[in-house]
Amino acid sequence: MDEFKIIREEIDGVSILNLDGFLDAHTSVELEKAFEELKKESNFKVIVNFSRLTYISSAGLGVFMAFIEDMRSNKGDIKLSEMSEKIYNIFDMLGFPVLFEIYKDQDTALKKFNESEN
Amino acid sequence: MSKDEKIIVHSSTKNLVLIRKFIEEQALKLGFDENVINQIILAVDEACTNIMKYSHSFNEENTIQICTKLIGDDFKIQIKYNGKSFDPNNIQNPDMDEYFKSFRVGGLGIPMMKKFMNRIEYDYKIPDENSLTLIKSIS
Repeated sequence: MDEFKIIREEIDGVSILNLDGFLDAHTSVELEKAFEELKKESNFKVIVNFSRLTYISSAGLGVFMAFIEDMRSNKGDIKLSEMSEKIYNIFDMLGFPVLFEIYKDQDTALKKFNESEN
Repeated sequence: MSKDEKIIVHSSTKNLVLIRKFIEEQALKLGFDENVINQIILAVDEACTNIMKYSHSFNEENTIQICTKLIGDDFKIQIKYNGKSFDPNNIQNPDMDEYFKSFRVGGLGIPMMKKFMNRIEYDYKIPDENSLTLIKSIS
């Protein structure tokens, strides 16, 4: 059983992390590794696509908090996209939309990155 | 729910998936709606993650016992564990404006437990038994 996997792709200089499965204290280590790798490669523009994520606990939320400052201080960002209502409710309840840009679809998030370049 | 149900797992984050499945099965039997079931699952996950991290320092030799029961209108999830104690009721929720301004990491598990459950009870028995009970009312 695949508990959690990340499929990474690059579109127009933006790294997309497609999350699949559940993100808890066990699997969030994988996401941390993915962000560490992006930092090492100086890829600071990141979109996280949640369309195939079925569950998130605070351990998963913590990963985004751990990397957002780094990404922004390097002229990048972590933009979140394609969340189910169930996942969005968790982010929303804790007030994450104050700090993070959350978009319904990945294309809009991508456009926002392109706009900020012009 | 006709009888108490119980699961005992080693204190490893890889067992969180088993814990969530167990809680889902018990909550389904009581007819909670999907949204509430998800909240209960998350609260128990957060409680057990805290125990694995802070009480057991991720030492998998420790065990966590979870017992569910229905008493009156209350669905009670009792989590028994050894090691360092913590009573979530004594921990203040963070100021979320400050939290985001200072890019804090962690500390959201207990606020989520409190938000999603009606009550949380903590008890300690000598020599080394902590009991954390998360309670959700059916009505």
